[in-house]
Amino acid sequence: MNKEYIIIAFTENQIGVLNRITSCYLRRKINIESLKVSESPIKGISMFVISAFTTAETIEKVAKQIRNIIDVLQVNFYDEAELITQEIALYKISSRPFRENGRVDALSRQWGTRLIEFSSKYVVLEKTGTREEIEELKQELEANNLLQEFTRSGSVIIHRDSVFDQLHETIENGTKQQR
Amino acid sequence: MANKIKVKGGEALLLSLIEEGVDVLFGYPGGQVIPIYDHIYDYKDRIHHILTRHEQGAVHAAQGYARATGRVGVCLATSGPGATNLMTGIADAMLDSTPLVCITGQVPSSLLGSDAFQEADTISMTMPITKWNYQVTTASEIPKAVAKAFYIARSGRPGPVVIDIAKNAQVEEMEFAYKPCISLRSYIPRPMLQPETIARAVEMINAAERPLVLVGQGVKLAGAEQKMIELAETGNLPMTTTLMGISAIPNDHPQFVGNLGMHGNLAANQMTQHSDLILAVGMRFSDRITGDVSQYAPQAKIIHIDIDPAELGKNLRVDLPIHADAGDALEALKVGLKHKDRSQWFDFARQQWEIERERLSHTTDHKNQYISMAEVIRSLAETEQGNAVIVTDVGQNQMFAALYSKFNRTRSFITSGGLGTMGFGLPAALGAKLGVPDREVVAVLGDGGFQMTMQELGTIMQNRIGVKIIILNNTYLGMVRQWQELFFNHRYSFTQLENPDFSLIAKAYDIPSERIMRPEELNGALERMKQASGSYLLEIVVLPEENVFPMVPAGASLSDLIFNS
Repeated sequence: MNKEYIIIAFTENQIGVLNRITSCYLRRKINIESLKVSESPIKGISMFVISAFTTAETIEKVAKQIRNIIDVLQVNFYDEAELITQEIALYKISSRPFRENGRVDALSRQWGTRLIEFSSKYVVLEKTGTREEIEELKQELEANNLLQEFTRSGSVIIHRDSVFDQLHETIENGTKQQR
Repeated sequence: MANKIKVKGGEALLLSLIEEGVDVLFGYPGGQVIPIYDHIYDYKDRIHHILTRHEQGAVHAAQGYARATGRVGVCLATSGPGATNLMTGIADAMLDSTPLVCITGQVPSSLLGSDAFQEADTISMTMPITKWNYQVTTASEIPKAVAKAFYIARSGRPGPVVIDIAKNAQVEEMEFAYKPCISLRSYIPRPMLQPETIARAVEMINAAERPLVLVGQGVKLAGAEQKMIELAETGNLPMTTTLMGISAIPNDHPQFVGNLGMHGNLAANQMTQHSDLILAVGMRFSDRITGDVSQYAPQAKIIHIDIDPAELGKNLRVDLPIHADAGDALEALKVGLKHKDRSQWFDFARQQWEIERERLSHTTDHKNQYISMAEVIRSLAETEQGNAVIVTDVGQNQMFAALYSKFNRTRSFITSGGLGTMGFGLPAALGAKLGVPDREVVAVLGDGGFQMTMQELGTIMQNRIGVKIIILNNTYLGMVRQWQELFFNHRYSFTQLENPDFSLIAKAYDIPSERIMRPEELNGALERMKQASGSYLLEIVVLPEENVFPMVPAGASLSDLIFNS
């Protein structure tokens, strides 16, 4: 059965690793729903968070193939429930309804957003939440014909247990070998 | 080399190759590698450069060299079309775990991405077909890139790597010092054995009544042929080989029961289906080996040893995966293994062999008017006494060669297994011959595959490479024709060939040749070919519509072997 799986990979910060990782999905014709690459807490090591819909059996094979890439240090896969996942979204909405009575602050609080910028033409609000919460507000703004532009960050995740212990061990062993 | 010397990038490349022990380099010059070739001119006595007639020839030759010797094969091509012409061989080496270092030229780094003359994005294009690749844009990167390339290509599960060197890096000056690469923190080529897993495997093997060992190429790659035989002898286990595993076990070993898979032997396939324990060593359960996975080895527990963890459980569920080097695992398994009487199980193998011989005797019973391909390989095996390196092309020639060749030595059957690359045979054979010059190397080719890379006869001529060439000429793309006959109602859509006079082609390349058509000419011709001191081309006009049997039709169960059309 297809469901959303999130792969977290730690890699050397090398050119081409991104292409090799996405190619593991591409060759099996799996569409990547979201992908985030950033520097991990360890200097020189990148952290990939990739989410895609597939089966448990397939994601395990994809994870093993990603692990085989020379510059990849560690790969784990999770289903969504195992991770604490948040996204950041920016909503650019028309300032029209706020012009007279200055309800912006109140509405922003009601929506759980933070006011980033206010002009005569638009208001930019920021919201952090689960994908569902982000989506819910987007739909509400759309329904009221307020939404002008919308952008979201992709998943920012943290595991309840540490995903870093294993990584530290890999790096330590590798450094020992090189000595 | 501790002392630093000042050299240009191109020379640093050659010095690095020499540090890695490279003695033969297969290549083809072009605009973006001229600086490298200028240095090769000075290093001719230290690196034997073989000029092929096409870059595809260079990469296949490097593969043949690597497969025959166990060393890393090296090839060199220019940017753009030079690099794209290498692709087929790189993909082939990826699927067949062949260690290659492929060096390509690239436009100067200032022009990267500008669609410059002969620019191709070699790194992107080779990404899915290499174990690793790297673009060099400054001369100082060269020694480190080469060291890493060789380390990655030959360690763990071997494979091809590409180093793409921008022209400016070839001409810049740098301080040369070489330090071999011995480890990378993100890469574990030699996994640690888990003693409890080994203990569990020994228990399972000892408990089995009808065990079967599947010997894959991993046994050769690990240099573990002797350990494999010792293990099988200790536990009295029958051994089979995959296509890529052929020659790892001598054919005359009493516990060797034949080849597996689509065109394997009845005994090996039937034993798979009746076995209660399969010990798979260094193989990957490809669809050509398993047939219908859901009906594969229905009674067996499966122990799978492979150095590549991504292979464990990839194609079928295994009961006990062992992530290990084949040699390490086999050595550990031997301890505690019990010798058991398995005479019934070996009797079953003998019975299956009798059935196969009996059923095939009907299909090969032709009017003696034509030579059969099966007969050619049988006679070749007799003539060469199991000592030759047999290099095949792809198709019927390959399957007959696999079925009827005999081997005494490992690394003696060189074939394009995973990718099934027509045109592989001739260049791979010349590469193999250069790797093992003291051994007899025979290319067994079809008339179709030969014509895909026959320009390499020029390489054989120019370098006096004493490779023997057999063309099995049935004027068909025989394997596709066989499928058309069996599964497409005899509709021979574009599989018939009108061939040139191959003896005239051989003559043009100054290669002695002979053409035979009648069965009684066969043994004499093979003997004359064997006696020839240099290269020799033997064209054998064979039965036009001979089929390779036994055969497991694609997608069928191994139990459903067919023996005739």
